[in-house]
Amino acid sequence: MVTEIIIEILSAGLIISACLAIFFEEAIYSVAALAGAFFLTAMVFALNGAVYVAIFQFAVGVGTLAVLFLSGEMLSEKYKKKTPLKSVVAVLFVGLLLSLPAIFFSIPMTTATGYGISFEESLWTFRAPDVVLQGLVMMTVAVGIAIVLYDRKMGDR
Amino acid sequence: MDFVILSLVMLLIGIYGLLTKRDLLKVFVSVELIALAATLNFVLLASSLGVGLGEAFLVLAFSTDTAVSGVILSMLVIVSRKYGTSDIGRLAEMAEEEEEVEA
Repeated sequence: MVTEIIIEILSAGLIISACLAIFFEEAIYSVAALAGAFFLTAMVFALNGAVYVAIFQFAVGVGTLAVLFLSGEMLSEKYKKKTPLKSVVAVLFVGLLLSLPAIFFSIPMTTATGYGISFEESLWTFRAPDVVLQGLVMMTVAVGIAIVLYDRKMGDR
Repeated sequence: MDFVILSLVMLLIGIYGLLTKRDLLKVFVSVELIALAATLNFVLLASSLGVGLGEAFLVLAFSTDTAVSGVILSMLVIVSRKYGTSDIGRLAEMAEEEEEVEA
């Protein structure tokens, strides 16, 4: 019961963060609101029992947001007007209203055909080549970045 | 609590941002929200049904999403550095002007 209430509060916060990410005029604030949405999503995943996915979401979200913050800083135009406080309050209210249907209504599901296998089991049974290939891709990217940085360092000298 | 409706609301917010915002970074944020809505729907349905397979498939979706984000962001930075703006309307005007000059 308590967990359900926490999930409902987090879901409302998630929708409010998404609304703020869209409505903020400043790029940095928008990205910060998106960071909040990512974090709240990871929390909702964890509370629903999808802990591994929550960890992936958190790790991927941190990487994406770091790049987004840098890009937002580079791309933000200084002359742009700031978001008025009244609009922010209005967006908070709209976000809260939008979260109400998800809390109070539900769509009945009649089909529930689970395979009954765990995340780890299905990951290695059905996705082993993907996981290995992803590891290879990440390693290649890391080595590539290291080579580029090394070349740049040698070029500076 | 219904996760389908939650995902639907997130999707609608993303589509609204995609249709109304003119800044490239905002468009990208909207795309991220749409991807988040899809992820939310799949993961929460899979976990509520007790299907580990659904969560496992999402791992590839995460990495694909991140790769797509990286490519979009790099293109965004290149475009805004080249043309000095990230406004879609102004970029379209510049493209039209370039076409007229070439013609």
